[in-house]
Amino acid sequence: MAKNFHEVRDPIHVFVRLDTDERKILDSKPFQRLRHIHQLAQSYLVYPGATHKRFEHSLGVMELARRVFETVTQPSALTDEVKKLIPELEHPDQLTYWRRVLKMAALCHDIGHLPFSHAAEKELLPEGWDHERLTIDIILGEEMQAIWNSVTPPLRSDDIVKLAVGPRKAKDLTFSNWEAILSEIIVGDSFGVDRMDYLLRDAYHAGVPYGRFDHYRLIDTLRILPSPNDENNRGEPVLGVEQGGLETAEALLLARYFMYTQVYFHPVRRIYDIHLKDFLKEWLPDGRFGTTTKEHLELTDAEVTTAIRTAAGDKDRPGHDPARRITNREHFRVLYRRHPKDVGVNPEAALAVYEAAVKEFGDTQVRFDQYRPRGAAAPDFPVRSSDDSVVSSLVMSEVLRMIPAATTEYVFVAPEIREAAKRWRDIHKNEIIKPEKENS
Amino acid sequence: MTEPQQITVLLQLAEELRKRGSWCGETHIQKASYFLQEMLAVPTNYDFILYKHGPFSFDLRDALALLRADGLLEIELRPYPYSPSLVVTEGAKRFRQRHPETLGRYAGQISLVADKLESKGVAELERLATALYVSLETGAGSSEQDRAQRLVELKPHVSLQQAQEAVETVKRFQEEAARQWNP
Repeated sequence: MAKNFHEVRDPIHVFVRLDTDERKILDSKPFQRLRHIHQLAQSYLVYPGATHKRFEHSLGVMELARRVFETVTQPSALTDEVKKLIPELEHPDQLTYWRRVLKMAALCHDIGHLPFSHAAEKELLPEGWDHERLTIDIILGEEMQAIWNSVTPPLRSDDIVKLAVGPRKAKDLTFSNWEAILSEIIVGDSFGVDRMDYLLRDAYHAGVPYGRFDHYRLIDTLRILPSPNDENNRGEPVLGVEQGGLETAEALLLARYFMYTQVYFHPVRRIYDIHLKDFLKEWLPDGRFGTTTKEHLELTDAEVTTAIRTAAGDKDRPGHDPARRITNREHFRVLYRRHPKDVGVNPEAALAVYEAAVKEFGDTQVRFDQYRPRGAAAPDFPVRSSDDSVVSSLVMSEVLRMIPAATTEYVFVAPEIREAAKRWRDIHKNEIIKPEKENS
Repeated sequence: MTEPQQITVLLQLAEELRKRGSWCGETHIQKASYFLQEMLAVPTNYDFILYKHGPFSFDLRDALALLRADGLLEIELRPYPYSPSLVVTEGAKRFRQRHPETLGRYAGQISLVADKLESKGVAELERLATALYVSLETGAGSSEQDRAQRLVELKPHVSLQQAQEAVETVKRFQEEAARQWNP
């Protein structure tokens, strides 16, 4: 007799369970491609263990999404007020439908990623394109549509899109309260399982402890709660937490902060991303990735890695210089990094240093890198306190109020001019970062 | 509008809200910016969608996080059970002083929005901003009753009476803005 359920072993979640319909996604071309897309781009050049792929991350996201769904929809977790605002919660057939949509969306949330994940996205796609738009195209495409139609009852592809990319990227679709909560389970700012899985998984593979937090406890205490407001807790329902889970929610958000500052912002990792982008600009036809699903599915890290190795050894090949810098570890070095004192003088100090360095040394010798914070200035979600009232997390937690926004800026220079550039920086920096008044 | 100009407008808006005694949390700035952009045509270019507590911009949320990271906004605690306010810093004051043209060009619109929304709580701001969203969505030809019903459809936790009041308030606000600014 054929098996209806399948289990995949996973170093983070032990087992990930799928049914036969979900297995169809696993076996599809777009999903299998994720076996060849590194989760952390070329971070393995700094953290040798960080060779994990989007494939296992997507399975992990599905597993966590299932656990969150089962926790927040269990009858004992729901108040009458919430049930009144979300009618779907009292219809078992609808819950079954949406549970399936959520798991499928979780599996598909990253299928539009370009080679080496985020590393080269912004400048290498035409205006208006990003990996989420590619994800949407694949979900709506022929191969996936056949899978959605083969499920009983069939799944609406728009529903998968909504939950996979969320309201920020599915701007043309309207989200009900229920759909907004389900998308929050995957891509949410506070408790999105995409983030939970990548923090745990990236920390595990990079060999750092910073991304760990008690996700079992956190998921057990997640609830759908009315947003606290100034009219007796009558706000719209969103994902929140019982007071008993507040400390582990803090731990999640601190883990995020530390992973950014310690791993994702590592300067050598950042400059390798820039060299990769420089290589792709020269190597790709017209310097851009194609945006058809066919073009997208044909290209993975494997093809790009081979091309880099070939170009590094042949100075007549396009992209030889950045390929050589990656392969021979001749990467650019940090000349300047964001400093709070300089930001106090001029929030755009790093950009000013970059522009001045380009004038002094030429644009082939200097690179600028900037990561801007995404997400709320301070994470605000409802907390149900022990007296049953619902209060903002920012009222309940001094830790959450204090977590800084993760941001970084670097100016890099070619190793050949590093010493000269440092001398120039030491002499001119204060004058360079002095802000100018607006021109009329 | 350039990014420094956008930042100048945001900082000035936060400052004007605070001066008038507004609680000035993130929701307040989100909704006030929506009125400023969509009703008074200040070209801040934030992409608003109907989401949390009504019209919401992820770009604006990221911009506020950046202002905090850059030390231009900071969190100020308020007594229990109120969530914290966002307060402009001394650095923000210096930043604004470097953009006198932008301040001068939009000072009137910013003052008008701050005057109208100064004392509103989060729940009322959600209703008003959603009423403006509905008014822009349904167009000038729609009746106030239709707009109120659409508001309840979009935000089921809002009562019809609350929706009607919000639609009327926004209509008056739009009329006053049209008289002053003819956007």
